[in-house]
Amino acid sequence: MAQSLSASDVSVSFEGLRALSNVTLDVPRGKVTGLIGPNGAGKTTLVNVLTGFQKPTGGTVSLDGESIVGVPPYKVRQKGIARTFQSGRLFADLSVLDNLEVTGVGLGLSRHEAAKKADRMLEWIGIPHLAERAAGGLPYTDERRVAIGRALMLEPKYLLLDEPAAGMSAEEANDLAQLIRRIIAEVRCGLLLIEHNIGLVLTICDHIHVLDSGEVIEVGPPALIKASERVRHAYMGTQAETEGAVL
Amino acid sequence: MADRPSILARTWTTPVILIVILGVLQLAALAVGSGPFNQTIIEIFIRVVLVVGLFVFIGNSGVISFGHIGFTCLGAYMTAWLTMLPAIKKSKLKGLPDIILDNKLAYGWGLLAAVIFAGLAAYAAGKVLMRLSGIAASIATFAVLAVIIQVYSNWDSVTGAQSSVVGIPIVRVVWPYFLCAIAVVLVAYAHQISRSGLALRAARDEATAASASGVNIPRERLIAFTISGGIMGLGGALFAHSVGVVTPDTFYLGLTFITLSMLVVGGMNSLSGAVLGVVILSIIIQLLRWMEKGVDIGGASFALPLGVQEIAIGVVMIVILMYRPSGLTKNRELVWPSNKLSGWGKPKAPADGKTV
Repeated sequence: MAQSLSASDVSVSFEGLRALSNVTLDVPRGKVTGLIGPNGAGKTTLVNVLTGFQKPTGGTVSLDGESIVGVPPYKVRQKGIARTFQSGRLFADLSVLDNLEVTGVGLGLSRHEAAKKADRMLEWIGIPHLAERAAGGLPYTDERRVAIGRALMLEPKYLLLDEPAAGMSAEEANDLAQLIRRIIAEVRCGLLLIEHNIGLVLTICDHIHVLDSGEVIEVGPPALIKASERVRHAYMGTQAETEGAVL
Repeated sequence: MADRPSILARTWTTPVILIVILGVLQLAALAVGSGPFNQTIIEIFIRVVLVVGLFVFIGNSGVISFGHIGFTCLGAYMTAWLTMLPAIKKSKLKGLPDIILDNKLAYGWGLLAAVIFAGLAAYAAGKVLMRLSGIAASIATFAVLAVIIQVYSNWDSVTGAQSSVVGIPIVRVVWPYFLCAIAVVLVAYAHQISRSGLALRAARDEATAASASGVNIPRERLIAFTISGGIMGLGGALFAHSVGVVTPDTFYLGLTFITLSMLVVGGMNSLSGAVLGVVILSIIIQLLRWMEKGVDIGGASFALPLGVQEIAIGVVMIVILMYRPSGLTKNRELVWPSNKLSGWGKPKAPADGKTV
C-alpha cells in the first residue's frame, strides 16, 4: 500500500464559487512536497480539506490508502496528519509547554507523559528556554517554532506547514529550511510546505505543485517548476520578478 | 534534561490557599457562634459551591452558560423528595413514586442523590448542547433553564408547582457546608489540572487549533458540563437544607445573575477567582443587607432603600468589566510565593525581543 497522503480529483465550492477544481496531489512519506500559488489560489482550502476542516464537494482524500473524507479534524490528527496555521493560532493563555502538552493529551497521553514529550520536543526544536513563557505575545519566529513543535508532537506521519516562513528574514528562513531538513531526516514524515517564499520552496522541496484559481497548473521537481513558462505567467508575472523571487 | 516536577507538585498550593480562606470563615463561624452569623457563613459556602460549579464549565470552556441554575433546582428538589417526612410528601407531593413517598433518607444521601441526578441531567442536556459554540450555546443553556423551571413550576403532584415545598430537614451546623465547599474546590482543581481540563482550556483559547491538536472539543465540554451540573445539584441540595423550603422561582434569573456576577468579578478563568468573587461580593451583599435594615448612628436610624444590594452588584460588575475585565484575580491562580509556576493561571509574559 502506498505510504502517502493523497488528494484525488478534489473539488470544493462555496455557494457556487469554485475554490478547488479537480485537484490531485500526493504527499509521500520522507519527502518534502511544495504547494505554491498566488493569493486566493486555494492552497489553504486544500490544506483544510486534507486535515478534515473542509469537506470536499467532490473527489477523495486518502491516508495511506484509507479514505478520510468526512473524518473530523481531531480524528484526522489522531490518525497522524498534523498541521500548522498561517496565523500561528497558539493557545495564548497557556504556556509554551502547555501548548505542546495539549497535542499529547489530545492524542491520549497522560499529562505527565505529555509534559515529558513536550519538554523533549522543545529541546529538539531548540527553544527549551521558552517552556514556561506565555504563548501569547511571543516573537514571530518563536511563535512559528512553537506551532511546528506542537504539530510535531508524537511524530505525525504527515506534517502540513501553512506559510511557516511568512514575515521571516532571509536568515530566519534559512534556519527554518534547516529545521525542515531535520524533520525529514529524523521524523521521516511526509511534509507539505505551503509557502510564498519561492526560494525556500525551490531549495528544499522534492516535488512541487502549483495552484492557480483552484486548479493545479504544474507539477514537477523544482527545476521543472523554475523553468515553466506557465508558472511564470500565472504565479510570478514577469521574468524579472521570477528571478528576484527565486533568489 | 532534568525531569520537570508534575503538574500536581507545581500547583498544589492553590487549593490549599483556597481551603485556608474557607477555613478562616469556618473558624469565624465557630468563634462567633450566633445563628444569623452562621447562616451568613453557610450562604457563603453554598455560593462557593455554586460559583465553583459554574467555573468548572464556564471558566475552562469559555462558553457562558445561563442554564446551570436549572441543575441547582434539580438538586434541591431531589434532596427534598428523599429527605422530607413521608407524611408531608403524601399530603403535598402525591405524584412521587411510592418508594420515595414511603421512605425518608438522611440528608447526606439526599446530597449524594442530588449530585447524581443533576449530573445525569447535565450529561443528557450536554449531549445535545455541547456541539454548539458561542452565543448559540449560551442561549441554548438558557433554554434548558427555562424548560426545567417551567416543568417544576407546573408539575403540581411532584414538585408542588409554584407552592413552596416545606418540611425539608434544616441543617444548621456549618461544617457540612464547609466540607462540601472544600470537596468542590478539590474536584474543580482536579479537573483543572487533568488532561480534560487542559484540553478544554486550549479549546477555549483556540478551538480550531485544539481540534488540529487532536482534541475532541464536544467530548471535553461534555465532561466539564456534567461535572459542573453535578456540583450545581449539590449546591441546590445544600440550599434546600439551609432554609428548609424550596420553590422553583428561587432558582431562576436572580440566582443566575448573582452567581455569574461573582464569577466575573473574581476572574472567570481561575478557580481562585471563583472563590474570591464569592467571598468579596458576599461581604458587600451582607453589608448592604445590614444597611437596608437600618443602621443606628448617633441615635438616628439610617436605612438604604430596598433593592440597593442588587443595584450595587450591577454597579460592581460594570466597574470590574470596564477596568478589570479579567476580574480581581486577573484570571491568575493564588500561589504560594515559593511555588510560583508559570503555565498556571496566567504564565509569565515572554521576554522582550527574545528570539531563537
